[in-house]
Amino acid sequence: MAENALRINELAKVFGGLAAVDGVSLKVAAGERRVLIGPNGAGKTTLFHCITGTLKPTSGQVLLFGRDVTRLAEYSRTALGMGRTFQITNVFADLTLAENLALAIVGTERRKWVLHRPVAAYDDVRRKALASLERVGLEGRADQPAKAVSYGERRQLELALALNTNPKVLFLDEPCAGLSPAERQRISQMIAGLPRDITVLMIEHDMDVALGLADRVTVLHQGRVILEGSPDEVRANAEVRDVYFGHA
Amino acid sequence: MDRTRAVFAALALAAALALPFTAGPFWTGLVTQMYIFGLLALSVDLLLGHAGLFSLTHASFFAVSAYTVAILQVRYNVPTALAAPAGILAGTLLALLFGLAVRTRGVYFILITIAFGYVVWGVAHRWSSFTGGDNGVTNVPFPAIGPVAITSHTQYYYVVLVAVILCGLGYRVFMRSPFGLGLRGIKASESRMQSLGFRTSAHLYAAFVLSGALASFAGVLYVYYNKFVNPVAASFPVSVEAALMAIVGGTGTIIGPFLGAAVVLGLRNWVSSFFEMHHAIMGAVFIATVLWAPLGLVGIAGRIRARLRKARHG
Repeated sequence: MAENALRINELAKVFGGLAAVDGVSLKVAAGERRVLIGPNGAGKTTLFHCITGTLKPTSGQVLLFGRDVTRLAEYSRTALGMGRTFQITNVFADLTLAENLALAIVGTERRKWVLHRPVAAYDDVRRKALASLERVGLEGRADQPAKAVSYGERRQLELALALNTNPKVLFLDEPCAGLSPAERQRISQMIAGLPRDITVLMIEHDMDVALGLADRVTVLHQGRVILEGSPDEVRANAEVRDVYFGHA
Repeated sequence: MDRTRAVFAALALAAALALPFTAGPFWTGLVTQMYIFGLLALSVDLLLGHAGLFSLTHASFFAVSAYTVAILQVRYNVPTALAAPAGILAGTLLALLFGLAVRTRGVYFILITIAFGYVVWGVAHRWSSFTGGDNGVTNVPFPAIGPVAITSHTQYYYVVLVAVILCGLGYRVFMRSPFGLGLRGIKASESRMQSLGFRTSAHLYAAFVLSGALASFAGVLYVYYNKFVNPVAASFPVSVEAALMAIVGGTGTIIGPFLGAAVVLGLRNWVSSFFEMHHAIMGAVFIATVLWAPLGLVGIAGRIRARLRKARHG
């Protein structure tokens, strides 16, 4: 069996009296596409935050390729190969798209500390930024500020930022949220086209997108895993239908 | 566009070089102060305009550096070649300590820097056996490095001019560097920066120390111009005015803090000659800036340019 890219042991996050994540355990194999689904408030985003280090879990363990990263800061986890996008678009609005990507490129390098040389002097950064923009369908927009492009384009930028930190495991928090059907299709094609040396964990509400991309699906409800299985198994499961549509 | 800029820069440089010959010593002195306080404002703006941190303790680095130079030169006869670097070093060491304030953000950062500023002012004011108390340290000579000695305020004007131009050029590279871009990234979204692999607190700490070093350099230039230093240099109003200059001129730019220094110092000199409550005028200017020109004079210039371009192209 392939090495687990990610392993979560009994992870819990309690806010006051509310257990948003209530003892979740997960194993994700290297190269797998795993989709997390669940109704609003199931704890999906909180689980993501705890895995990537945005939040500290109350208890439990996070292992990245067998290494315990539970106590590491977010930037250290990024250096070890975690990359993420945010549910609520989180790009640098005042900076140009090329500058946005330059930050993602140097963020995991020592060059981020350089202060005696302009960013523009690094040809490789510029080339990489332009290539990356082209890959997510933003060619020709490099020198526009992020606040001047459309919402859908900012979602594309969001994905490009995460991809430029050289992630081994990529966490996508509703990459298609708020997009038009055409844009949604474009993003899901992009995700489907990612190389298999990147493991992908994705939260997605759109069942067509979710079940189309997933190798395996984990269903979360009230902070717990209620089912894990192939897309077909999840589609056929009565409990999932109950959670989503209520009892008949 | 670049050509207009080059012409503008050349004209400004020519005017700056000719100033001591065309204007009297009063104006030369005022413009020297404008350069020095503009540099202090630039150091404040390194944090304010790029990283989004509002520091109100920059008078501390300015004054500690000025006191160090004054005490070394006057009491111990240390030559400028050692005293000036020692001043920058002392201010920078203090910035290494005060930089711990970057563990906080927003209003807490402002409050903690105000507290730091008062500590330094208190020491300067109360530890009179060492600092000279209210009188401070007087009779600071003009700088002299080896055989090159400055003997007049006119000569010193050129020293400050060269220093400011070099700082401005260095600052320009810094602004565009990966490190400088990182600061703007933190200002825009710190959470995103962390997820991209930046240790944002370390980044801000480094910026704080750098900013403190620049303020310390301004302090060195100040003490050789002023010839004395007293606790006023370390006082809260100096920190506030430096931030005010950056905001009135335009944050996030190089020229802005210097324009702001010109406005603040110019107004103060002019208004105080006929109106006792000149501080009230400064307050009004500040309020007007925040309300109608939050990007300062540089922002106003940009708006005028945009309007002209629109008119030209119909």
